[in-house]
Amino acid sequence: MHSENFLNTPAIQNVLAEMEITRKEIAKKQIISTVLAVIGILIGFGGYFFQSAMVYFIAIGVSIFIASLIVYTSTTAKDENYRKNFKEKIIAQVLKLYDESVTIRFSIGLAEREFKDTQLFAQDPDRYHSEDLVTGKLDKTSFYFGEVHAEYKTEVRTKNGSTTRWHDIFKGIIFTADFNKHFTGGTIVRPRNMFSGMSTWFSFGSAKPVELENVNFQKTFITQSSDQVEARYLLTPALMERILLLDEKSEETISLSFCNSKVYIAFPIYRNCFEPPKFKSLLNPKILEADLNVIDAMMAIIHELDLNTRIWTKD
Amino acid sequence: MIVAIILCVIILIAILLYNSIVGKKNQIDNAFAAIDVMLKKRFELVPNLIEIVKQYTNYEQTTLTKIVELRTKAAANNLTDGNRNQIDQELGAQVKSLMVNIENYPDLKANSSYLNLQRTWTESEEQIAAARRSFNAAVTNYNDAIMMFPGSIIAGIFSFQKSTLLSNTEEERKSLNAKDLFQ
Repeated sequence: MHSENFLNTPAIQNVLAEMEITRKEIAKKQIISTVLAVIGILIGFGGYFFQSAMVYFIAIGVSIFIASLIVYTSTTAKDENYRKNFKEKIIAQVLKLYDESVTIRFSIGLAEREFKDTQLFAQDPDRYHSEDLVTGKLDKTSFYFGEVHAEYKTEVRTKNGSTTRWHDIFKGIIFTADFNKHFTGGTIVRPRNMFSGMSTWFSFGSAKPVELENVNFQKTFITQSSDQVEARYLLTPALMERILLLDEKSEETISLSFCNSKVYIAFPIYRNCFEPPKFKSLLNPKILEADLNVIDAMMAIIHELDLNTRIWTKD
Repeated sequence: MIVAIILCVIILIAILLYNSIVGKKNQIDNAFAAIDVMLKKRFELVPNLIEIVKQYTNYEQTTLTKIVELRTKAAANNLTDGNRNQIDQELGAQVKSLMVNIENYPDLKANSSYLNLQRTWTESEEQIAAARRSFNAAVTNYNDAIMMFPGSIIAGIFSFQKSTLLSNTEEERKSLNAKDLFQ
């Protein structure tokens, strides 16, 4: 892994040490703010037991609570700066180790339109957020990936009216790369489960189930395509093996789609990636390990899927 | 009355099974037609390949003549499916051998038309392999339908015959290593 050595360089250790001071300041203030908020609430409610002095209790409780908000607010600008520094000075620099062309834009993500175009998800999101878009080109293959959180809502009727509940459609990273073969249709590879298995029985659209020869691949995934021959042209026996190896490295089963001349790979990850720790030390290498592993896994995909092999008519 | 209902249900199931088997049989024909289309696409590449190679070398005449012969045979209308498959395999082997020998001709190897043709050839090989895999999947699907109960009863009554898989795995394995040609 490139990044392990990188973190041990004196320059980066100095940056981390500097950021660690800021982190401690932010953490300290936020802990104080939380403690004040709890004290304020307790004093406020304490008035209930001292009816005669209730007004004073509430006044003191509210004042302490407001003080806690002021303390918290004073950290937000610093906190934002700390996050920005972490992404610019650590994450962006780690990405540069793989290739100079690789950049990260923190506030931009994968467009919602593209999320829908992947055809990986049966439902359109009601709430969509994407950030940390990493773009670059490794050898002949352009790629980008970003963190995505897509949700749909349901309305639940209650005694007082209705409540909105949010459910995840997808949370994780969607990786996109220019595929090395020409194709015109759409081929989708989803994790095999009871729901996806049943959905293939009722596939009335152009996408029909594709039965592939690789037994392990068939056990792990369900493949659907608008063109049976094209699906097999894309999913060669070698690529199926490579996809299985890639899947083994992911905590949750991955999904893939081949459309718009690209391959989209969705990696479900239930934590927020590329965010600095607030209440744990930045100097502990284990803390950053998860993010570095994600970066390493993403940057290895092009090699693992052999996307730089351009022996077909697509350059 | 009950007997009539049972009879109707049995007839309905028989019709559905019959239609399903016919549908699967048609899928085999479709898949076979796809192989044919891919093979024709590949045969059409041969004249261009011959033209380009001729310009650069006089040493591969025997291979070129053999390729031209195979191309002419492949273009004949009276070929059986088996013959066409065999000609395609021979042609594939000859062209691969030619491409390996072309490594000795740096000018030809660097020619952009040749490089493009080489890529198209590799692409067409993988497309043929994919079409064959698709055919075999359709055959397996159909064979399962006519050999498993209750499809086997309908297949027996209407004399549906078992279809044969294409056993060219060796050829497919070779085409997966097409990358070797570019080294």
